[in-house]
Amino acid sequence: MPAGHGLRSRTRDLFARPFRKKGYIPLTTYLRTYRIGDYVDIKVNGAVHKGMPHKFYHGRTGSVWNVTKRAIGVEINKQVGNRIIRKRIHVRVEHVQPSRCNEEFRQRKLANDKLKAEAKARGEVISTKRQPQGPKPGFMVEGATLETVTPIPYDVVNDLKGGY
Amino acid sequence: MGFEPFVKAQKIKPYFKRFQVKYKRRREGKTDYRARIRLINQDKNKYNTPKYRFVVRFTNKVIIAQIISASIAGDMVLAAAYSHELPRYGLEVGLTNYAAAYCTGLLLARRVLKMLEMDEEYQGNLETPGEDYSVEPAESRRPFRALLDVGLVRTTTGNRVFGALKGALDGGLDIPHSDKRFAGFSKDNKQLDAEVHRKYIFGGHVAAYMSSLMEDEPEKYQSQFSEYIKRGIEPDGIESMYKRVHAAIRADPTAKKSEKAPPKEHKRYNLKKLTYEERKAKLIERLNALNSAAADDEDDDDEDDE
Repeated sequence: MPAGHGLRSRTRDLFARPFRKKGYIPLTTYLRTYRIGDYVDIKVNGAVHKGMPHKFYHGRTGSVWNVTKRAIGVEINKQVGNRIIRKRIHVRVEHVQPSRCNEEFRQRKLANDKLKAEAKARGEVISTKRQPQGPKPGFMVEGATLETVTPIPYDVVNDLKGGY
Repeated sequence: MGFEPFVKAQKIKPYFKRFQVKYKRRREGKTDYRARIRLINQDKNKYNTPKYRFVVRFTNKVIIAQIISASIAGDMVLAAAYSHELPRYGLEVGLTNYAAAYCTGLLLARRVLKMLEMDEEYQGNLETPGEDYSVEPAESRRPFRALLDVGLVRTTTGNRVFGALKGALDGGLDIPHSDKRFAGFSKDNKQLDAEVHRKYIFGGHVAAYMSSLMEDEPEKYQSQFSEYIKRGIEPDGIESMYKRVHAAIRADPTAKKSEKAPPKEHKRYNLKKLTYEERKAKLIERLNALNSAAADDEDDDDEDDE
């Protein structure tokens, strides 16, 4: 009998709960709120059978486009053939985590706003752009001792020890 | 020589390595997570709207009624009422019975409504206690909605938890319920007997027991109801006592802050954790003590041998 290609095929380990984390799932998953436009990671929780996404979406990140009573609509990119389709799926909140992918961006935005406001108060114009790391500056090598290496003349008698 | 008889060790190292502990509050036997998930889960399209639970818990001496909403940082208590506040309203004995539960629920309801300035609109059930009463929505605001959180109590008919529920309902809260578990509901004709329920709310069952003990077993009456006797409470006066308490609660339900100043030093209930140096020093002391004791034993043995 051939192996099937059902909805949850080949997910024996993917959807399994981690070691010693079986049973009830912690309540913060239910207490989180999601707004449209947030980025979320999809991570399937095998303990909850309803509202499970297909195994393809496990580990993907997308943005929220809909919020319903117990589930969230997430828009994810999927490559189909030679193009990328924006797919919209609905997933129960147990299979969703808030994504930290734009956390650094948001923090930088806040910090930059503050810097800009301070500069405006002083009347300066500053650039808050990130600069890439340039080439390393030149430096002197410290504590270097010079060792001159010269070739040793070939000594026939010693080198042919043991047998000719 | 003392050998242990050979017993195969039951709990071996791999057992402990694979053991998954239950949640802490489950280990303590205090929280039913299955019920908690269902009580706390709020519709996602209601975003941050809090979902309030009407929590009723009984200890050996006190009844605790609280309105709580859940958050990731921890549950937030909106208002609380304890049965040890009832002496302030004139009820000094029987602080854990059905009638006291009713009073505590009523106190909490009036307190919450006053806090939210809804107490004028939602007076609750002023007459006919005992009958099933549900709050009707007024014109301007919808009634305060909470869900009963029973805890780990077995929900049998006539449980005191439902006495507290009735008190909160009559106080004006909107708590979805059915009258199946109120005291006085008979399974045979599937109806709530309002008279019986009213008797329980006003402590009629206690009064009846008092009267029967007074006639039949006076000594047991003295021991069982000694506090009642000390305060001169007669079985006939119990109902009017509870009526006065209800009126006092409706008159002024605000919580009173206790005048006790918080203690300057926080009392420690568990041992302080030692630092690494302290633990090493302790170990060295113990080893020294052991070595000197062993040295003394050796000296004694040597002396005996000689």
